[in-house]
Amino acid sequence: MRTQSKLYFYLTISAVLLVIIAVLSLNIGVYDFGGNSAFKVLWQFIKGDPNLSLSDKYVVWDVRAARIIMAILIGSMLSVSGTSLQGLFKNPLATGDLIGLTSGATLLAAIAIVLGGHFKEYLPEAVQFSLVGISAFIGSFLSMMLVYRISTSGGKTNVVMMLLTGVAITAIGFSITGFLIYISKDEQLRDLTFWNLGSLAAATWTKNIILGVVLIIAYIILLPKGKAFNAMMLGEKDAQHLGINVERLKKQIIIIVALMVGTCVAFSGTIGFVGLIVPYILRLLFKSNYAFILPLSALCGSILLLTADTFSRSIVAPSELPIGILTALMGGPIFIAILVKFKKAL
Amino acid sequence: MIKAHQINYKHKDFHILDGVDVSLEYGEFLAIVGPNGAGKSSLLSVLADEVRTGKQKVLFKDKPISEWNVKELSKHKAKFSQHNSNDIPLEVKDVVMMGRYPYFDSQPGKEDLEAMNNMMYETDVFHLKDREYNTLSGGEKQRVHLSRVMAQLQNEIAHTLMFLDEPLNNLDIKHQYKALDIIKKFTQKANSAIVVLHDLNLAAQFADKILLMKSGRVSAYGTPQEVFTAENISDAYNFPCTICEHPITNNPMIIFG
Repeated sequence: MRTQSKLYFYLTISAVLLVIIAVLSLNIGVYDFGGNSAFKVLWQFIKGDPNLSLSDKYVVWDVRAARIIMAILIGSMLSVSGTSLQGLFKNPLATGDLIGLTSGATLLAAIAIVLGGHFKEYLPEAVQFSLVGISAFIGSFLSMMLVYRISTSGGKTNVVMMLLTGVAITAIGFSITGFLIYISKDEQLRDLTFWNLGSLAAATWTKNIILGVVLIIAYIILLPKGKAFNAMMLGEKDAQHLGINVERLKKQIIIIVALMVGTCVAFSGTIGFVGLIVPYILRLLFKSNYAFILPLSALCGSILLLTADTFSRSIVAPSELPIGILTALMGGPIFIAILVKFKKAL
Repeated sequence: MIKAHQINYKHKDFHILDGVDVSLEYGEFLAIVGPNGAGKSSLLSVLADEVRTGKQKVLFKDKPISEWNVKELSKHKAKFSQHNSNDIPLEVKDVVMMGRYPYFDSQPGKEDLEAMNNMMYETDVFHLKDREYNTLSGGEKQRVHLSRVMAQLQNEIAHTLMFLDEPLNNLDIKHQYKALDIIKKFTQKANSAIVVLHDLNLAAQFADKILLMKSGRVSAYGTPQEVFTAENISDAYNFPCTICEHPITNNPMIIFG
């Protein structure tokens, strides 16, 4: 009971913090609303004020608000996918980017962009639109299966194998994507560069709706699994004795994480380290109690990515810093910190 | 309670278990003993449905154990494993609370907290409840898991079954006796326990039935008096021994050498 109210307390604080950052972020930017604050313009837009100029409306709703929501959705999913992978592999170093899921997704997305151009006219519109997304999902799913099969046997994960398989997948992805860049046309090239660097600049409301749907489906299945993740720390057999259907749980995690990582990569490219940073900080506060860190990582991931994105678009305004630079700057030292802590275990 | 007929379990061409029969009544304390590599842990794994051996069926409460719903089954039986994880970055009370996971969804109820606290008292780990599990000694970790497994079977269900694989490892004398006392009390409430033990004298003192194993087969089965004869033991362990009567309990007492 006591612990439960503690969880709600931290969830509330995180939610309030997220709202404050979102509000601040809405007001930060180069565009000048003719002396008005961004909130006033947003309020006018919501009320449907006919005096609102088109460009004001465009900036506040289609650019800033869409981007803020996208940062919230993607940050949340990247962070929860990291936490879930760490539960599955029982290791704090398992994240989508380190074990190669992101590279797998990027690779198949790149193939879809470059080769898909040739088939475009033969495919129905709905398929065209989602081709990149579905390819990214398949890419992350296949990488996930590969890493899991190679590094895990009898319910035990070999961490070195896990990370090295990730390195191998990343290397393969890098070389093929490089080749695709070499043979691609100008327009595709711009798309590919965007994918490799990672950015939230291409946010639209359509993308946000798709991301939102994926997020809701994923969270309905994953977020109540805190207890099951905890029990997995005992080992798979003992988790089974506690009434957890381990095989089904593992399948669910693999599919849902691949779906989340794939969707995030399809819409925002590779934004690294979010799934490493957030669970690491939460573990410092709450140990590895997944009943806490799973729901909290959903909110804290949003906070992290939204803050990073707001910095990345304001620090060198009117230009923009690739967001991956900021997350890597935070993630790198944390990666090293975890390595040092686990020096003996590796 | 549990019945298994002619269990065979092979790894490649090596017979780990070869035609083992087990049958356990309500309220019985069965100790499985035998030399290293006799198949004690494998037998326990098969009975607890951790490994499936093909056609043979283990009947748990007259229903094949593989047909039980996993969650429902977890309220009827629990298992204490020999190799417990060393890396569980949680507090002791969180680990014990895992035993109550079958009973609540997101929030532990009053009974769950009660069961957790009672079992921590019984196994003498209550004073460690806020310590981090990873900082405990081997014996303390064993007691935490014993506490967790006991908490799992605190319920209204009549006749529950506990599997314990070498629960006395790393425990000091006092806690060895305490652990066996807890298990004995548990079986006296019409529950059953199957325990792999190494100490034959403790087995003789606490168990109702003994299953002596050698190279994957049952070499003797019955009450301690029936099983613990000098021939049976010397044959199974390939080591000389003498049997005399325990001066207080009148159980057989085994002196090796």
